[in-house]
Amino acid sequence: MNGRPLDLARAAYLTVNGAIVFFLLMPIAIVLVFALNPTPYIAFPPVGVTLRWFVKFFSSPDFMSALWLSLRVAALVVVLSTTIGAMCALALARGNLPGARLLTTLFLSPLMLPAILTGLSLFQMLMLAGIGRPVWGLVVGHTLVAVPYVLRTTLAVLANFDRRIEEAAAVLGANPARVFFEVTLPLIRPGVIAGAIFAFIVSFDQLPISLFLVVPGGETLPVVLLNYIRFDLDGAIAAASMVSIVLALTAVVLLERIIGLRAYVRL
Amino acid sequence: MATRRRRISPIAWMIAPAALLFVMFFILPFGVMATLSLLSGNPVSNPNVTLTLRHYNRLFDSDLYFDALIATLRIGLVTTGIALVIGYPLAHWMARMRSRLGHALLLMAVIAPLLTGIVVRTFAWMTLLADRGVINTTLAWLGFADKPLPLMYNEFGVVVGLVHIYVPFMVLTLVGVIGRIDRTLEEAARGLGANRARTFLEVTLPLSFPGILAGSLLVFALAISAYVTPVLLGGNNVLTLPMLIYQQVSASFNLGFAGALGVVLLAVSLVLVFAYNAILSRVTGERQLA
Repeated sequence: MNGRPLDLARAAYLTVNGAIVFFLLMPIAIVLVFALNPTPYIAFPPVGVTLRWFVKFFSSPDFMSALWLSLRVAALVVVLSTTIGAMCALALARGNLPGARLLTTLFLSPLMLPAILTGLSLFQMLMLAGIGRPVWGLVVGHTLVAVPYVLRTTLAVLANFDRRIEEAAAVLGANPARVFFEVTLPLIRPGVIAGAIFAFIVSFDQLPISLFLVVPGGETLPVVLLNYIRFDLDGAIAAASMVSIVLALTAVVLLERIIGLRAYVRL
Repeated sequence: MATRRRRISPIAWMIAPAALLFVMFFILPFGVMATLSLLSGNPVSNPNVTLTLRHYNRLFDSDLYFDALIATLRIGLVTTGIALVIGYPLAHWMARMRSRLGHALLLMAVIAPLLTGIVVRTFAWMTLLADRGVINTTLAWLGFADKPLPLMYNEFGVVVGLVHIYVPFMVLTLVGVIGRIDRTLEEAARGLGANRARTFLEVTLPLSFPGILAGSLLVFALAISAYVTPVLLGGNNVLTLPMLIYQQVSASFNLGFAGALGVVLLAVSLVLVFAYNAILSRVTGERQLA
């Protein structure tokens, strides 16, 4: 199709696709408008530019303690899920395990099974065991949904690199430990880092699991935002939303540079 | 596949932490959920619990709950259909994009919404669809509407929000399948005199059918388990299964009934996920990673 003069069908094709991209991105862009608009409720068109909503968000103790909790949980989840996920990927790709395929499906399943059920069932078990809702429960719940991302990005890297590199190192006299630390580990690093970025975002934005596992007064940012939106629809939410949007955009750019987003599609 | 016959290597032990995590906090809890759904009460505080099917009967006996189940499936179906119609052209464009930069930018445009928090994206739709939101204000300003159109606090709003959230999953599934279609087949059809529309309808579309099916199953599975979007964009006028599940825990603290609802949702999801994996692994012939 390329190289041919623009005809009507081609123009229609591009218009439709342009409209779809607009549909995807416009809601995200509109949030910025409301974050900067001074009216105390959501009103369009905007009447000016102000930073008062950012001030309100960053000076509210409720929002800040939630943001702080979300960041702490996400940091723990990143450490746990990259360690567990990368080890799991290596075992699945290099361990010659029987049933590796079935195991991969199991470890990836939290991506597709309803997260609300992961939250509900974890909550039911902790309640029954009399443990209640400690912060580590929240961390464990988030880790369950973050591990599949690390697993996926690491497996993608492992599937792409030539196993003969490792074999060559072994033939040249490196012992298995040396092969692992000096060949395998550096090669999978981009996949693990990409997985860590996904893990952070997934945990930071996680809602359905947190809903069941947070305690009153100890809520994560998405839970606080959800409760706030039900009663108030002002610019503070838009300002808070910008935090999530900026994180997402940063992640996308980082991922493209580290691993190439293309690898994500092959999956 | 020669690797299959090799000895299990010591590296296999690295699966242990993941296995432990999943057995203790994923498989075991689902077992607890299923067990609670069959018990008459809390087995820890009450030693006289009996096995019962009453939680399941309650779901199918009550009009309210049964309607919620139907509404969930209806919203899921409509969302899936629209996501397919919107996702297919974009996936096709992306799969056929020759410019690397164009491809990367399109991918960013698809993945950026995916990584933005679900509460944030739903909030964005509230600002667009509300009575005083962007769309209604603009329509009134243009003189098209005397009173605001009811765009949210109904199923319409829920579907719009869900489509926006799940279109990227449809696109990412379709891109892989469309990208694998042998272009020479299309060229052959053109060479034999088929016009562009006929080539698309009789060659490209049938060959991308596995992707269409897989993407639809994925979006349907995700849409029926959504919680935030139905709550915020449906308000009090929409009740779905996930909303009901959370209600049973937060308001009624009825863990048994919540468990029964969970088992029903889990069963539906499991069937969808297995079908999705089976279809995609047949298409790609590779180890299925998603």
